[in-house]
Amino acid sequence: MELILQELLNGLSIGSVYAIFALGYTLVYSILGIINLAHGAIFTLGAYFTYTLMGGSFGFNGLLANAAIPVKLPFFLALILGSMLAGLVGVLVERIAFQPLRRQSADPLLTVVSSLGVAVVLVNLIQYLVGAESYTFPANTFGNIPPAFNFGNSDHPIPIRSVQIIIFAVSAVFVLLLTYFINLTKYGKAIQAIAEDAVTASLLGINTDRLTMLTFFISSFLAGLAGTLVASSVSIPGPYFGIAFGLRGLAVVVLGGLGSIPGAVLGGLVIGLVEAFVPGEFSGYKDAVAFAILFIMLVVRPQGLLGKQFVQKV
Amino acid sequence: MSEFFSTYGSLIVSMVLGALLGLSLYLPLMTGQLSLASPGFYALGGYIAAILSTKVFNQSSHEFSIFYLLLEMGIAGIVCGLLGIAVGIPTLRLRGIYLAIATIAFGEVLRVVSLNLEITGGAVGIFGIPQPFPNQISYLWVALPLLIVSMLILYRLERIRVGRAFIAIREDELVAGAMGINPTYYKILAFTLGAILAGVVGAISAHFLNTWNARQGTFDASIIYLTFVLIGGSRTFVGPVLGGIVFTALPEILRNLAQTNGLPDWLAHFLQDGRLIIFGLLIVTGTIFFPQGIVTPNIFNIFNIFTRKSKKI
Amino acid sequence: MSQNISQISETNSGTNKNIILEVRELTRRFGGLVAVNHVSFGVHEDEIFGLIGPNGAGKTTLFNLITSLIPISSGELFYQGVRISQLCCHQIAGLGIARTFQNIRLFGELSALENIIIARHVHTKSNLITGILELPTAVKEEKRSRQKALELLELVGLSDRATENARNLAYGDQRRLEIARALALEPKILLLDEPAAGMNPSEKHQLSQFIRDLRSLFNLTIILIEHHVPLVMGLCDRIAVLDFGELIALGEPSVVRNDPAVIEAYLGNE
Repeated sequence: MELILQELLNGLSIGSVYAIFALGYTLVYSILGIINLAHGAIFTLGAYFTYTLMGGSFGFNGLLANAAIPVKLPFFLALILGSMLAGLVGVLVERIAFQPLRRQSADPLLTVVSSLGVAVVLVNLIQYLVGAESYTFPANTFGNIPPAFNFGNSDHPIPIRSVQIIIFAVSAVFVLLLTYFINLTKYGKAIQAIAEDAVTASLLGINTDRLTMLTFFISSFLAGLAGTLVASSVSIPGPYFGIAFGLRGLAVVVLGGLGSIPGAVLGGLVIGLVEAFVPGEFSGYKDAVAFAILFIMLVVRPQGLLGKQFVQKV
Repeated sequence: MSEFFSTYGSLIVSMVLGALLGLSLYLPLMTGQLSLASPGFYALGGYIAAILSTKVFNQSSHEFSIFYLLLEMGIAGIVCGLLGIAVGIPTLRLRGIYLAIATIAFGEVLRVVSLNLEITGGAVGIFGIPQPFPNQISYLWVALPLLIVSMLILYRLERIRVGRAFIAIREDELVAGAMGINPTYYKILAFTLGAILAGVVGAISAHFLNTWNARQGTFDASIIYLTFVLIGGSRTFVGPVLGGIVFTALPEILRNLAQTNGLPDWLAHFLQDGRLIIFGLLIVTGTIFFPQGIVTPNIFNIFNIFTRKSKKI
Repeated sequence: MSQNISQISETNSGTNKNIILEVRELTRRFGGLVAVNHVSFGVHEDEIFGLIGPNGAGKTTLFNLITSLIPISSGELFYQGVRISQLCCHQIAGLGIARTFQNIRLFGELSALENIIIARHVHTKSNLITGILELPTAVKEEKRSRQKALELLELVGLSDRATENARNLAYGDQRRLEIARALALEPKILLLDEPAAGMNPSEKHQLSQFIRDLRSLFNLTIILIEHHVPLVMGLCDRIAVLDFGELIALGEPSVVRNDPAVIEAYLGNE
């Protein structure tokens, strides 16, 4: 029983990170019709940024060997700042790589390929600058919060790592913030308008260019946030961990339905839970679970659980 | 001369294999499908050859005859062809990005499975794959004819009914259907041909590289092959061949470039270690400035000018 | 109501021609919208059948349903008496129903000649093996396809543009190429979607004559979507009028022109 509860909470925790990561994907997709495969790379960047802002130093490979910045910010501040830096990188990427393609009315697939290139550049840039070693966040990351809470009683202790609670809490907060933003603010509604019909939106005076930048900022902010949260829970295994996560994020958005915000959340939680409940002897196959689900969804129901069915214009 | 071959023999063979892998991506692309499944079939072909040669044929290294290599290539081709059809049928109803993602997912599932099965050696892979040839460059005896035959086939393909059907589907799938072409059939055909080619190349590579593991079928590999086709040229078979040759050689070229005298340190360092960054930048700039790649079908017109043929109708 | 209309038209036309294409209660829904609403009519063999109606009336959608580019929501389709509603796009083309498109959809990057040769697909058989190995049957077939394509190019007056990329052709030439491409299927029914769009009066007149010539030359049945009412009135044997997806009139031009429902929905608003 305790095991099930633990796995459930594990699943919710990782699922919530999947959810905010997937939200980033879905936001960009609904506004531009593209899947930004650099999302995973920005996820990685976020982790590295936060690590640096907390005063972490780098190993002895890479151009910036042994470097560290002279500040040591507390976790939550570094988290926000690191994610904002990630957001800025996202905007830069949009300006440099995607906007010229939009100007040329290029096939969205070409933009997706370009985003692959961006991912390769970013990840390898990280490796070039700071090497491929793993980095862990300092032990006192969360300050005075105890490392684990006991959800059972003294007879049947159910230890839950506090970092997982924090991850879930932070993710939940940002999902709520995003939902509020999209549905209740002027900018959020404008973004929805662009997602529905970009041409009409701009004819109605909505500055699609600026809002695209804003969407990318938010999307990349969420990626950086997710990266930091995952890294703080385990560690940064190396610059490539975002790519794998990014691929899994694809499974989440397709499952939930591309373009659907509740879908991203639902998909994230579902895949998080499914992965958590993979029995021990098959743990090596855990990675394949998300991809198997992805493949099956694409074949059976490409619009996902909550997405809209696409009608092709003839 | 022989010193050149011993130093660069391995690279030359790699370039030829790279060209072939570019072609394996080009085939589905002829019908407009961006499939990133080639690495998966490549890995599978390699595993088939590796498993067969180490566990089934059980020949010691210096007795491994070419016959067995060709047999493995054939088996790899058939298995990958059948799997290609099996995977193609459900996935080729998808278009564009969804297809690309489905092929990525397929590749990843294969990769994870190969990491976990005992017969594939798990994470470590398979070692000591027997060599049918005394040195690396001799692999050209197999690789080069394969490349030439593939190029001939593709040259013909672009000029016959089936090839035209491919191109029509790429240009406008809906209209191709309205003109009597069955898109699903031809898409699966192109996809399967690409799978067969990737599998056969995998079989050769397993012997060539002497070991084989799950890292052969990664997502990174698909990006590299994509560069071959994207920058090399996506509208004619010459593009991926040149792309494969040039970009396989690129890291080596960069390394040599890095050693030229008088180059600032950071630039030399970058050329040497940052080659994947360069690949990525190439992809990004390629999509903006060369959406169809550098080599376009017009290249054949250039030959016409040289031979002073009149424009054929 | 549509049933009454077709009954009237049958007695009016007086002849008892074969119905080569029959549309029965054909309906297409997009979510909440009904684009084509229980439309029924029959097209006679060898007739030039017009399909008119205001913008958005569902004419092109009807074409798309007939050629199976989009799925039928309900209703049936019959070709030469045989039910074809379940067939897919390429099968219908194979049976002999060819079309052109409202927004020209040529294979832009290919030459004019190649565009037509591609449409010879259903009348050729060579496959991967026979083609690549250049077996004699395949080679002969290629030659014949090329020959036929050149003839069609000649017919539409584009012989000198054979090697030009289709998208570099002038607008009028592109329209003619699309017709030539459709003819390459050796169809029995030719669906033309606004073939006269963008033409000046004299070009429209030539096109009218050309369509009549096509009918006699190839024994075609021609269904025509057109906006330019005088063209349709002068050219078509019978006309169907759609409005908001429904068939509101069907009959000879003289009858339709005076039908009050048509005048109100379409002619009156011009």
